[in-house]
Amino acid sequence: MIINGVSIDETFAEAFPMKGTRLIITAHNEKWAMISAQTFTGFATSVIACGCEAGIERVLSPEETPDGRPGVTILIFAMGGKSLAKQVETRSGQCVLTSPTSALFSGLESDTEIPLGQNLRFFGDGFQISKMIDGKRYWRIPVMDGEFLTQEMTGVQASVGGGNFLVLAESQEQALNACEAAIEEMRQIPNVIMPFPGGVVRSGSKVGSKFKALNASTNDAFCPTLKGQTKTELSPEIESVMEIVIDGLTKEDIDVAMRVGIEAVCKLGAANGIKRISAGNYGGKLGPFHFHLQEIMA
Amino acid sequence: MSSLILKLKTSPSQRIDCSALTPDRLEDKTPAEVAAIELPSGNRTVRVDSVFDIRGDNTNHIIFENSSEKLDFVGNQMSFGTIEVSGNIGAYLGAMMTNGFILAAGNTGAYTACEMKGGQIKINGNAGDFVGGARVGQKNGMTGGIVIVTGNTGSRTGDHMRRGYILIEGNAGDYCGGRMVSGTIAVLGKVGAHLGYGMKRGTLLLLQAPKQGVSANFNDCGAHTLAFLPLMLASFRNLDTKFANLTTFSRVQRYTGDLAGIGMGEVLVKIG
Repeated sequence: MIINGVSIDETFAEAFPMKGTRLIITAHNEKWAMISAQTFTGFATSVIACGCEAGIERVLSPEETPDGRPGVTILIFAMGGKSLAKQVETRSGQCVLTSPTSALFSGLESDTEIPLGQNLRFFGDGFQISKMIDGKRYWRIPVMDGEFLTQEMTGVQASVGGGNFLVLAESQEQALNACEAAIEEMRQIPNVIMPFPGGVVRSGSKVGSKFKALNASTNDAFCPTLKGQTKTELSPEIESVMEIVIDGLTKEDIDVAMRVGIEAVCKLGAANGIKRISAGNYGGKLGPFHFHLQEIMA
Repeated sequence: MSSLILKLKTSPSQRIDCSALTPDRLEDKTPAEVAAIELPSGNRTVRVDSVFDIRGDNTNHIIFENSSEKLDFVGNQMSFGTIEVSGNIGAYLGAMMTNGFILAAGNTGAYTACEMKGGQIKINGNAGDFVGGARVGQKNGMTGGIVIVTGNTGSRTGDHMRRGYILIEGNAGDYCGGRMVSGTIAVLGKVGAHLGYGMKRGTLLLLQAPKQGVSANFNDCGAHTLAFLPLMLASFRNLDTKFANLTTFSRVQRYTGDLAGIGMGEVLVKIG
């Protein structure tokens, strides 16, 4: 398959099951909601070392938030419910509770729930106040700038992590431009995040390593400097490869995001140095969700 | 199926316990079986059809017509359905109810919604003493649900209340929120003396400052913008009450007490 001179590999991205939730952070203004959300989602690029993958989903207008203030939604994913609960609790406690004027709400309804403010309330040292509003429990925790309001629980749902595609270009700059264009379009899609810096990964990994201590290492087949040194996947004209990783609440959400992202890349086309689209395919070692590029773009 | 209508024949001389006349207790009963139910009244019992004219057969929707303040325990422990009362009604309306809806067109007696656990009671009139309170000897009053009173409430509203909402569009009597354990009472009108006497936790939200001032055993914590208030006010939007039309606010003067006890209760008085 070739789109605007860009070859779409007959391959697939492998993704794996995760547990995910959506949180809503509100604040006095959008600036402070965003600061809190960015802090919460910092160091959350990959479960390999961060314990979770998290990112900002979108900005909410005051009309869309529970307390009528500007807000931001974030999605956070982890390998299991317990690890997700731990990450949500520590990040909420250190990054949202501490953030001026913030309030924290669940953005996902589900029968399965994990604590949100349930344990943060103890920071109130006995002065915390519970309020049941519309059948949901909230905690009012006295803090130095007033009160921190947080919902007690948030819903959790089975999700998908690790959807991806690779952009193969003739130069580093062209690969970066294409990925930026893709991310801009993909950020309009609900229920997904691209957790890496700016949404783009330059250090794609393969499963396993020659070093026993590591369970992932550089994807040498796609490293342009190793073209003559390893079993490469790259043709001579490819000088740079970048990856976009997508986590989503459902497989269908990732399908949509991948399609939109690849379309944006292909729009730039071969004329802008984009030669191929491929995907992280690890022979079935990584996960049960397979995103076939040509099917997605059909 | 049409609503089950129980029309009081004459004003009873003795109080009548109507606990048996709820959607739960009448489920699957034929009109003849309903007619034969014996209701406690003083030291004897009276058949339903000796007290009421009975029409209709939908026991999920019961209407008391010509009601009297001598009909007690209407909606007692009900868990579903609707009860409408066309006039005044007696004590213990909706006591211990867990779900469903009760609409009273007149005034209600003492202990309305006492130990209520869920559901909603709307009173288009005044309510007596101990709204949402606990029966004598019981530790907890209302533990859930919503009570809306368009008129005034008597003394000791929310006595021992533990959870839920009491929304009073008129005035609240003396000792409002007394011995309250938790929950929320909101008052659009005035409040009587001894506000929050013995209050442990919970919120008394006042739209106007008490003329006599807040009780001496409450301390002023200052003026604050509280984020939970818009959220709580928004939850009233779907209710049939003046509280649904309040302009959202979050700025209040906060007083805490009763400091003779643990002092974790709060009186919030709207600013401006």
